[in-house]
Amino acid sequence: MNPMKTFRIAILFAIAFLLSLAMNAQELTAKEIIRKANDKVNGLSSQGTMKMTIARPDWSREVTMKTWSKGTEYYMIYITAPARDQGQVFMKHGNDMWNWMPAINRMIKLPPSMMSQSWMGSDFTNDDLVRMNSIVEDFDHTIISSEVIGDYDCFKIELVPHEDAAVVWGKILFWVSKKEFYELKAEYYDEDGLLVSTMTGTEIRSMGDRMLPAVMTMVPADKPGNKTIMEMVDVKFNVPIDDSFFSQQNMKNLR
Amino acid sequence: MWRNRRRSLITISSVLFALFLALIMRSMQLGQYKQMIESAVKSSTGFIQIHDKGYWEDKTIDNTFVFDSTLSERVRSTGNVSRAIPRLESFALVSSGRQTKGVAVIGTIPAEEDYASGLHTRLVRGEMLSAGDQGVLIGEGLADYLQSGVGDTIVLLGQGYHGVTAAGTFPVRGIIRFIQPDQNNSMLYMTLPMAQQLYASEGRLTSLSVMLNNTDKLEETRSALQAIDPDNLEFMTWREMLRELLQAIEGDNISGQFMLGILYMVVGFGILGTVLMMTVERRKEFGIMVAVGMRRSKLLVIVLIETFMIGVTGILAGIALSIPVLVYLQHYPITLTGEAAKAMLEYNMPPEMPVLLEPGFFVTQALVVLAITFLTALYPVRVISRFQVVKAIKS
Repeated sequence: MNPMKTFRIAILFAIAFLLSLAMNAQELTAKEIIRKANDKVNGLSSQGTMKMTIARPDWSREVTMKTWSKGTEYYMIYITAPARDQGQVFMKHGNDMWNWMPAINRMIKLPPSMMSQSWMGSDFTNDDLVRMNSIVEDFDHTIISSEVIGDYDCFKIELVPHEDAAVVWGKILFWVSKKEFYELKAEYYDEDGLLVSTMTGTEIRSMGDRMLPAVMTMVPADKPGNKTIMEMVDVKFNVPIDDSFFSQQNMKNLR
Repeated sequence: MWRNRRRSLITISSVLFALFLALIMRSMQLGQYKQMIESAVKSSTGFIQIHDKGYWEDKTIDNTFVFDSTLSERVRSTGNVSRAIPRLESFALVSSGRQTKGVAVIGTIPAEEDYASGLHTRLVRGEMLSAGDQGVLIGEGLADYLQSGVGDTIVLLGQGYHGVTAAGTFPVRGIIRFIQPDQNNSMLYMTLPMAQQLYASEGRLTSLSVMLNNTDKLEETRSALQAIDPDNLEFMTWREMLRELLQAIEGDNISGQFMLGILYMVVGFGILGTVLMMTVERRKEFGIMVAVGMRRSKLLVIVLIETFMIGVTGILAGIALSIPVLVYLQHYPITLTGEAAKAMLEYNMPPEMPVLLEPGFFVTQALVVLAITFLTALYPVRVISRFQVVKAIKS
């Protein structure tokens, strides 16, 4: 080969290499950290089974479900157990939530007045389920500090909602591990600055094509004896799902 | 005393009538209170109510208690207990397909509920629930809002025991007209087993309403019941649960006593008038008696005795007159007719004016009149102690 050409190629590679190094050395913005963490949990789409445990001081109950999600706009939940709740379907379609109840043969669109009510008797509200994925778009993100949670060094990021965003929180604090972008902890504050609930992510496992906290525990601040635990039993990511899967008609067909 | 017959008689009769009116009025008032209380308490909470501990403060489906045959047996065999009505009450959304509304769901035993509140008298359409009925009774206002009639299906949706979803469809069996609008617009009855099944709370109750044979032994019976299970259950009386009713009655009671007070004041002045006249008229007589040698104190005593005799005669006559009247009314109460009667029936009360005979009452009223008489006697006492003999003889 022409020595001149070889040299040029070598320089090109060197520049490319250096550039990539430079890019890696660039600090990620808070928004990107949150985005990466969120993508980890959602992927482009997902399908799987989850188990929710509602724990109270005197009793606890388990609800198992099949879940499907696509992007940030759609998800579907089909309750498989316990027997009394089995067959119920919840669907998020944009900002709306629909509920199919085979026992009474009714399709219910949850009105805004019901959004702050608890979902299936848990510590999550209907609103939590619908708005889960707006943390990237509807907020301003700032890295406040670094903290260590368990074995992981984390960014502590403050999320403040945009003025016009339809968000019930006054502020959210997120702890995201620096290397792997695991969502390890979140604190939700209301508009008066009071802590409403705390979420912690534990049991980092391999789920589909990635590692992430398989268990999310939510503890309400005003009832410390209560908690709701959402466990990903078996979830696959980036599975092909049509938009048309997320329809009222399909809710009635799920098994 | 009998010197001026007419005057004495007038005084005696004023005392008589005062006592008579007082006794009749109060007996009627007290009788009415008792009737109101009994009917209100019977149709709402019951005289004593048993709940899961903490239920009254936090009325949720999770604060229910298990009602088995042992508990039933122990409650029903407690002294003074005539009945125990079990209920499961909670909230649900009801929908007819056209409209949705929040309602109070009451699961009960139809026959017992009818005893308590005369439900069947207010049925305007359809039928009452039978023992194993799967249908519901709804208020008239609710039926109108939902545009549902007898035979239509309605859907109930709510939250059951421990967070389970409560959902079911039910046919409308009958429509009830409640007096109070908020009841009329949002009450729904179903049989107890159906409610327990709907809310996943089989075998559980929100409340057990206890009716008594003798409603005066309220606290005693409560203590007796409490002994059954003081740790897990709470036992409340109607006085604690129906505070507004209690206060309304107290308020009315006070105004009644006030009226009585006014009545006695009037009577008191009447007696005073007579005594005054009597004293003035007899000044000369008193003067001579003292001049002749009678001790003033003795004169005092004589006058006092006279006054008391007037009072006591009036009292005894008043009592003697009122007893037969009250006894008669107790057995044959005045019945109301027309609009007033209808109003009473709506509140599940028999359309009559009841009277309550209380022996202690007679005694207290008598003593009050006696005290008034004594007060009026103070005037002649003063006169007698002070008058100047010569001036008196000359008057």
